[in-house]
Amino acid sequence: MTVFIQQVITGLSIGSIYALLAVGYALIFSIYNFSNFAFGVIMMVGTFGAVYAINLAGAPLPIAIIVGMIVAAGISLLVELSTYRPMRRKNSPRLYLMIAGIGVNMFVENLAIQTIGSSVKPFPSNWGRIILNIGNISIAYADILSGGLSVVMLVCLWLFIYKTKIGLGIRASAYDVNTTGLMGVNVDMVSLAVFAISGLAAGLAGVFYGMKYTVYPSMGAVSNKAFVASVIGGLGSLPGAVIGGLVLGLLETMVSAYVSSKLRDMIAYLVMILILVFMPNGLLGKSVKDKL
Amino acid sequence: MYQYLSGILTVIAINITAVCGLTILTGFTGMFSLGHAGFMSLGAYASVIAIKYWGFSFIPAMLFGGIVAAFFGLLVGYPTMKGRMRGDTFAIAMLGFSETVRLALSNIYPYINGALGISGIPKYSEAWLVLLIAAVCVYLTFRYTKSKHGRIALSIRDEETAAELIGVNVTREKVKNFMISGFFCGMAGCMYACYYTFITPNTFSATTSNNILAAVVFGGMGSVSGPTIAAIFLAMLPEVLRVVQKWRLVLYGALMILVMLFKPEGLMGGRELFSGWKMRAKKREAGK
Repeated sequence: MTVFIQQVITGLSIGSIYALLAVGYALIFSIYNFSNFAFGVIMMVGTFGAVYAINLAGAPLPIAIIVGMIVAAGISLLVELSTYRPMRRKNSPRLYLMIAGIGVNMFVENLAIQTIGSSVKPFPSNWGRIILNIGNISIAYADILSGGLSVVMLVCLWLFIYKTKIGLGIRASAYDVNTTGLMGVNVDMVSLAVFAISGLAAGLAGVFYGMKYTVYPSMGAVSNKAFVASVIGGLGSLPGAVIGGLVLGLLETMVSAYVSSKLRDMIAYLVMILILVFMPNGLLGKSVKDKL
Repeated sequence: MYQYLSGILTVIAINITAVCGLTILTGFTGMFSLGHAGFMSLGAYASVIAIKYWGFSFIPAMLFGGIVAAFFGLLVGYPTMKGRMRGDTFAIAMLGFSETVRLALSNIYPYINGALGISGIPKYSEAWLVLLIAAVCVYLTFRYTKSKHGRIALSIRDEETAAELIGVNVTREKVKNFMISGFFCGMAGCMYACYYTFITPNTFSATTSNNILAAVVFGGMGSVSGPTIAAIFLAMLPEVLRVVQKWRLVLYGALMILVMLFKPEGLMGGRELFSGWKMRAKKREAGK
């Protein structure tokens, strides 16, 4: 039983990282109907921002987390302003937006590999290694922190989207960007807000991922699993993304604990195919045919 | 010198063959894949087993590799297309596919040695032979895209719903094109294995997939000659500019963004190399 509870805790902590990233995918998808394939490097750059804040400036962990989030949000805005927005203005097909996203991913990731090396670095904080023992169950402080802060972040996001004026603009844009623009909502503002929020979430998730595992230029690959999580929850649905992230985290941990750890990385893709075959809209997604 | 040149020519031929496969899928059917390296891996392994254990000669082994890759294309393609995967989900699913292939091959020990891979493969890939094969592949791809099937693929790329409304069986056409692209990539994998004489599960990585995708994007979607030219250039680039070797992927990434921003139709943009001449010839005849 203790093993099981231990696995649940591990699953929820990795799941909360997936959930944060999946929310970033879902937010952008809900409005612009395309998936931001540059998301992995946004997370990676944010994490490196936090690492350098600690290593070079000697910042304490909370400051480093904030720095990481801000750096990630900055990169996210940069990608939006330099690439996605000009392309949307030209009414580029979704395929082109995704290829541009892949291009950003390739560019930044390999730039990082060439300049700072592809080696794996530990996150310069021992929070991931301090263990709290409750009975037979041991929990790393980093897991508690990531779980707690993820919840805080998601609640803030919920408040922002459902209680503020910009949030109302975001929700309106999710129905129809063009009409919302005609109604006098500053659509450019909305796009900046959305990309900044998804960047903040990516930065936070990246720092926790780095703390839990290690920091390296191709760590952005984990965002592919977060994408799967947002597909499970239903593309474009925020509550769906959170549920999908937690479900995927739990499922992965259970599979690697009770079946085979080699299957761990395959399970996400298998689940995605099964979900799409039997529930094409995911758990909570809006109907795909809506947005023809 | 001769060996150096023939080496480059072989690499070019392998690239062209793989690019032919992806251009049918991405350029004409409008589905874009991040995992075609998985097909190359499967084709390479299947053909190497055929050569080493069953005594196949090169061409039959290559075709066998292609068929095995196409079969896996059916296995993966049917559920994904049936599940109505859109562009982004499909791309990630393909990433998962190539990752799964890599993990599976690294953990199977009889015949293929797991992560150690297979070495001592006979070096069948002569430059003239693989160039000939690549030329045949380009010709076949060209004919295919100009045929009924190619037109149907284009209609799916441009407006899937409309294509379905006029009676195109979208799922079947997509799976068909997917299998064909897998077939070409499988053959390319076999040619690769028979040139470098050893393969491991990590030989065909995400970098390989990105290289093929880059050639298709730069060359122009909806064209066969464009990606072919791009494949030739991309294979020669690291030889011509040694500095580029290390920074190659950085450059590809930057170019991919710039191409999508300023010239999304790529080098040829739905036209072919000689179509301008043909048009002029037609005009001249019409003038008479």
